[in-house]
Amino acid sequence: MTSTTTSPLSGTEPLKSVATRTGGSTRRRIRKDLLRSRVAAWSAVLVIGAFGMAPVYWLLVTALSPTDQAFQFPPKLIPTEITFHNFSALAENDQLLKYLVNSMIVATITAVLSVVVATYMGYSFSKFRYRGRRSLMHLVLASQMFPQALLLVTLYTVFSSFGLLNTYTALVLSFTTFTMPLCVWMLKGIFDTIPDALLEAASIDGASRWRTLHSIVAPLAAPGMIAAGLFAFVRGWNDFIFALTLADKEKQTLPPGLVSTYIGEFQTAWPELMAASLVVSIPVVVAFMFLQRYLVGGMTAGSVKS
Amino acid sequence: MTTSGISRRNALRMFGIGALGVAGAGALGACAPSGGSTTSGGGDTKSKNFDFSSWSLNEATAKPAIEKIIAAWEKAEKSKIRTVSYPYNEYLSQLTLKLGGGETTGAVHLDMAWLGTVAQMGKLADLGSVAGKGGYTDVALNSGKFDGTQYGLPWNTGSIGLIANAKLLKKAGIKEHPTTIEEFEATLRELKGLGGGIVPYAAATKVAQLKDIFPWMQTFGCTLVDGDKVTIGDDASIDALTWYKKLHDAKLIAADVDRFDARALFGQGKAAFYDDAIIGKGVTSAQSKDKTLAEAMQPVPRPVLRAGDSPRALLWGGVIAVVKGKGQDAATEFALHTTSDRATTSQYFADLALPPSTTAGLADPKVAQDTFTTEWTEKITKTATGSPFWRFAQNAQIEEAVAKQVQAALVGKASPKDAMKQAGKEVADLVKR
Repeated sequence: MTSTTTSPLSGTEPLKSVATRTGGSTRRRIRKDLLRSRVAAWSAVLVIGAFGMAPVYWLLVTALSPTDQAFQFPPKLIPTEITFHNFSALAENDQLLKYLVNSMIVATITAVLSVVVATYMGYSFSKFRYRGRRSLMHLVLASQMFPQALLLVTLYTVFSSFGLLNTYTALVLSFTTFTMPLCVWMLKGIFDTIPDALLEAASIDGASRWRTLHSIVAPLAAPGMIAAGLFAFVRGWNDFIFALTLADKEKQTLPPGLVSTYIGEFQTAWPELMAASLVVSIPVVVAFMFLQRYLVGGMTAGSVKS
Repeated sequence: MTTSGISRRNALRMFGIGALGVAGAGALGACAPSGGSTTSGGGDTKSKNFDFSSWSLNEATAKPAIEKIIAAWEKAEKSKIRTVSYPYNEYLSQLTLKLGGGETTGAVHLDMAWLGTVAQMGKLADLGSVAGKGGYTDVALNSGKFDGTQYGLPWNTGSIGLIANAKLLKKAGIKEHPTTIEEFEATLRELKGLGGGIVPYAAATKVAQLKDIFPWMQTFGCTLVDGDKVTIGDDASIDALTWYKKLHDAKLIAADVDRFDARALFGQGKAAFYDDAIIGKGVTSAQSKDKTLAEAMQPVPRPVLRAGDSPRALLWGGVIAVVKGKGQDAATEFALHTTSDRATTSQYFADLALPPSTTAGLADPKVAQDTFTTEWTEKITKTATGSPFWRFAQNAQIEEAVAKQVQAALVGKASPKDAMKQAGKEVADLVKR
C-alpha cells in the first residue's frame, strides 16, 4: 500500500495491478472465508439435525422391524428386513383409538381453557395497576415450582371428594394447573408490547373496556395466544402421570394408554409401541406445521421494547 | 411497564374473570360423563359385585386368559366384576394411592414383593381362614404371608434363577452344570474361550437389575438382614462383591446389562447363562430367531460356596389379596377359586406357562409333563426364599441403594469393601424410617 501511494512516477499501471492483485486475493480470501463458514454452518446443521432426528429415525426403524430384528444385539442402523405388520396391528386396536380421541378432547380443552383464562389474567397483570398485583404474578409463577407428585396427591384427594375422578374434567383441570401459569406469563409479555395509546384511543372512541380487550387487544395478541395454546396443547398431550392417576381406562389419554398396552411385566413390545408412537404423533406434527409461524412469532413477541 | 389508568376495581374484575374461569370450568366439568368412580369407605361386604385390580389385565398375552376366568366366574355366580389395571411399573404407587383414598375395593393382584408394603396400610383382609382350603404348597403359602398373617392367596409361585443354553455348554465341552462357585467360574472361563464375543454369564450390571446380586451375597453367607440389623457390609457381602467384580474385570460378565439386554444376548446365542424368572423361557425364546432355543434352555440351581450348601434363589410370583369392605366375601371366594381350582389353574398354566401354587395344580398332567417347569420347581423354587427387605416399605430404595454401590465397585469408583460398608449404612438408615 505504501509504495502505491508514495511513487507518482510509477503511474496508474502498477497501482491498478496492485489493486487488482490485492482485490483479487481479498475476494478469494472472502470467498474462501464464506465457503468455510458455509461448510461450518452446514456441518453444524447436519450434526444438530442428525442428533435431533436420530431418535425419530430409530423410532421408524424399530417400528418397521419384525420383533426378532428389533432385539438384535448389537443393534443394526439399517434394518435387513422390513414389515408393516406393526402398523396394521394398530388398526385392529379399538382401545388405542379411544385413547387418541381422549387425548384430542382433553388436550384441546386444556389449551382453550388455558388461553382464555390466561388472556384475562395476563391482561390484568399487564395493563392494570392494583395492590397485590406483583404478589399475584409471583404466586402464579411459584405454582410452577411445586413438584408434580405433590400436586397430584392433592388433586387426587380433591377430585375424589367432588366425585370428579375418572372424568375429562379432572384431566383438564389438572393439566391446567401446569399449563396456565406459563400461558399467563407468555400473554402478559405480549400484552406489554401493545401500546397504551391504542387502548386510550379506543376509550376516546367510546369502546368499553370489554370491547377494547376483545376487538382491539385480542386480535393483536392472536399469534401469542396461538403459541400459548400450542404449548398448553402439547403439555396436555404429553402428560403421563396425571392422566394415569386421575382417569380410568375409559378416559385415559395416549401416554398412559400406550404404556399400559405395550409395556408389560416381562417384556415391552417395542416395535408395536414405536409404530403406535409414530402414528399418534402425526396430529401434533401437523398442528405444528400449520401453526409454527405463530409459534415463533408468539415466542419472540415482547422481546424487543419499542 | 405501561398503565392505562383503569381503576383498581376494574382491574380486579378482569383478574376475577380469569379466576372464575377456572372455577367455572370445574363446575361445567361436573356435567361430564362419569367413568364410574367408586368409593369403598367400608361398604357392603356381602355384595356379589366387586373390583379386580391386576396389571396383567393390560398385557396382550395375559389379558384373554384372565378375562376368561372372570367371565366364567360372573356367569356362575351371577355377579359383576369391574376390572382395574395400571402398568406394572406404576402399579404399586397407583394402588397404594387409591387404596389410601378408598377407591380400590375387591380383589387385588400383587407381586409377592409388594405384599408387605400394601399389608402395612391396614386395608387388606386376613385370608387365614380360607387359605387352608386351597391345598397350596408351603413355599407358596408363605409367599402370601406378612408378619404371620395370610394376606394373600398365592396365584403363581416361581423363582428367579439361572438359565443355561445347553447348546453353548455342549460347544464348550461342558457336560454337567457347575455346582460350586469355583466350578462355575471355571465353566465361564471355558465358555469365554469359545470366542466370538460370547458373554459367558449375562449377569445384571445395570442399577435397574443389580438386585440380582442379593442371592449371590446370600450364597457367600450374608443374611442381608438379621432381625432388624442390616448385615450388608459384613465379610460375606464383601467377598461376594469382590468375586462379582472379578468376573466383571475378567469379562466373564459384561458391563451395562439389564434383564432386557441379557435376554437379547441369550436369545442370539451370545450368552450361556443369565438370570430370569421361570417365564423367561417363553419371553426370551419368542424374541429369538433361533426357533430351537427353547429346547436348549435349562434351569440351573445357583452354584453354592461349599458342596452341600442349599442353592439360593429369589422367590417370585403373584398373590391375590382382598380389600376389607365392599364385596369382600365374594372377592375372597373369587381369589380362592382363581388360585386353587384345578381346572382353572391348569388352563392358566396352559395359556401363560405360569406355574400353579397348589400341590394338585403342580401334579396336573398339563404341568407335570412340562419338563422345564417341573425341573425349575424342583431345582430352583424348592429352596427359593423371599427377600428379607420385602417387609420394609422402603424396599425399592433399599435395592437401589445397594445397586448403586455395587455398580460403583464394578466400575472401580469404590473398593468392594467401601461399597458394601456404604451400602450397609444407607440400608440401615432406610430401614429405620
